[in-house]
Amino acid sequence: MPVLARGLESLGLSTVIVTNMPYWSEKMGAPRTIGVEFPFGHPLGMPGDRETQLRIIREALRLLDEASGSGGGEVRELEIEWPQPFDEAKRDWQPLEPSPIVKMLIDQRRAQAVQERQEGE
Amino acid sequence: MPVDSFKYLPGSIAAYYRNLAVQRQEPIPWTPLRKPVREARFALVTTAGIYVKGVEPPFDAERERREPMWGDPTYRRIPSDVRQDQIGASHLHINNRDLLMDVNIVLPVERFRELETAGDVGSLAPTSYSFMGYQNNTAEWREKYIPEVAGLMKDEAVDVALLTPA
Repeated sequence: MPVLARGLESLGLSTVIVTNMPYWSEKMGAPRTIGVEFPFGHPLGMPGDRETQLRIIREALRLLDEASGSGGGEVRELEIEWPQPFDEAKRDWQPLEPSPIVKMLIDQRRAQAVQERQEGE
Repeated sequence: MPVDSFKYLPGSIAAYYRNLAVQRQEPIPWTPLRKPVREARFALVTTAGIYVKGVEPPFDAERERREPMWGDPTYRRIPSDVRQDQIGASHLHINNRDLLMDVNIVLPVERFRELETAGDVGSLAPTSYSFMGYQNNTAEWREKYIPEVAGLMKDEAVDVALLTPA
């Protein structure tokens, strides 16, 4: 996402990111970022939670009005608690079947384990 | 309390991300806001891999299945008056159930229409944009698709882009 923000910004648009991974904004450098400690796929919260969605958007609007750019990029982190228990939330955002890259890594690891077992015999 | 960006990731993926060598390029590009938020025109951009069913094709998930290191670098346009039942989802790295119930969690079109009506933002542009967030190589984004989207935004007199990754 910092790649998109930086690209658009360099082409004359102002940008603000709302993300659960403000780490990338710090690491790569992004102009304006709001960080939320939410599971993936939910930058603005739970479906149907209009109030939280608006609250986060208003913080992004405030950052747009206030950030001057003098100190480089600005990251603001919000303290909003995710409503689900941690274990449930950690499971719930993930795809029903592993993504192709994760599947590939699992297959590789299995093949490696089989090979090691055969070599050990 | 700082936000833990890795909280919901499996440990192996978190470790992989933490060890990625990322070169931070200075300076950070900066476009000052040309007008107050109350007068500015907004475009929304998500990387949730959503599209409008029957209008533009889904992202290429089949190629990603064949080539797991590849992610579709193209983008889709989403009219800002899109209805929930028109939204399709291509992302293979998240569970799409919640955004198919309420697209506003990744592309807050309804919230911005409300903010526009209330006079809290100038306006919401007619077009929003969707990318697929899984990109190991962003060259095509940088060289082709981001300039294209920036051009489309300028055609609609957009001042600000709100970006929401998924």
